[in-house]
Amino acid sequence: MEPARERTTAWLYKGLWAALVKWFRVPATPPELPHGPAEHVERLQLSRGWLDYVKFKFWVALFVVDVLLIAAWFCLIWFVPWLGILITPLALAVIVVPDVLAYIAIHLRYDSTWYVLSDRAMRLRRGIWFLRETTISYDNIQNVRVLQGPLERHFGISNVIVETAGGGGGTGKEAAMMSMHMGLLEGVSDAQGVRDRILERVQQCRGAGLGERRDRMREPVQATLASPAAVLLLEEIAEAAQKLRQQI
Amino acid sequence: MDPTPGNRDGTRRFDPRNLERPDPSLLKYYGLVSLMSGPMFPFVFIPLYCKFVTLRYRIEDEGIAMSYGVLFRREVYLTYQRIQDIHLTRNFVQRWMGLATLAIQTASGSAMPEMSIEGIQEADQLRDFLYAKMRGVRGDSALGEDAASRVGVQVDAEQRALQLLAEIRDALRQCAAAKEQN
Repeated sequence: MEPARERTTAWLYKGLWAALVKWFRVPATPPELPHGPAEHVERLQLSRGWLDYVKFKFWVALFVVDVLLIAAWFCLIWFVPWLGILITPLALAVIVVPDVLAYIAIHLRYDSTWYVLSDRAMRLRRGIWFLRETTISYDNIQNVRVLQGPLERHFGISNVIVETAGGGGGTGKEAAMMSMHMGLLEGVSDAQGVRDRILERVQQCRGAGLGERRDRMREPVQATLASPAAVLLLEEIAEAAQKLRQQI
Repeated sequence: MDPTPGNRDGTRRFDPRNLERPDPSLLKYYGLVSLMSGPMFPFVFIPLYCKFVTLRYRIEDEGIAMSYGVLFRREVYLTYQRIQDIHLTRNFVQRWMGLATLAIQTASGSAMPEMSIEGIQEADQLRDFLYAKMRGVRGDSALGEDAASRVGVQVDAEQRALQLLAEIRDALRQCAAAKEQN
């Protein structure tokens, strides 16, 4: 019974995706980032832990809201029986439909979020109705932050936030989602690894992330005469000069 | 790269340099957006219509310009080297029409994008064009060579200095030897 039910759910879900792709032009493939042939491209999605975390929050919220709604409905039945029984279909719809929609939305979000990291830039995609793709090159990254709440720690996920120069918005996860100067990698299971990989590539870029040109960054090269070979030669020169002076 | 939805003839190559006017479907999109405001329709639609009629893009070698406005005119010019974030957003109405909003950010302090390019059917190609020109993408391959050549130059200078010192030493020794003989 279990597998059959799971198969039906999967089939329905696939059908929903197909409809979204066909009628609402939701892209079915992960975003592409132009890259060189030798470049390493990493594609990340929301981790399993994120799904558990959001579902846990969903069940808690569902329990609280539905208990309140059912209590209100029972009160109505108790005090005004004819009206309470009359609105039964409406009450059931209000109690059940949003839960189902929210549950589907969680899975859609789980499957539609992509983080693509190449050696030069990252492209982050999120959203179904309002699809948004952010492209940030490592050269422009000013800092990388990792945020984790207690509940997120329990589920083993973190949020990596990448910031570029410029203001606007706050410092939290919600601000990062909307800000034009931040990139949010939400629900990553290996946050330390992702952060280290990003920072490693950021450190390879030696600009300040503010549009310096490479040729202007090149400093004049100076030879120092502090090497042992140079000192030896200088000693010999001094000796020769001394000898010459004595002869005059 | 698969053609963007709404790109009717796939044979025509998209050249961003020829981009000047937005696609006519942008006006339809503006109409739909205005309809959503209900009774406020004329107040929303007229400014958007003026924007559509006067909207001009100019793509140059070093930067991109966008201008619009009838009474109050504005023109934004961005240099490719200063682009730091590119955001491509599409709501489902825009996807139906094959449109997109391409928001370009520089390092300025404003939370709003410096330039929002609307009404482009080939938004993906335009984004890749801008991506290839934005900073941190073009010059990076030369980074390794650059560092190596710098080290090379330093070694060369050191060698040359040592060579000069050796020449001075030899010249002094010859002087001393010549003096001794006299």
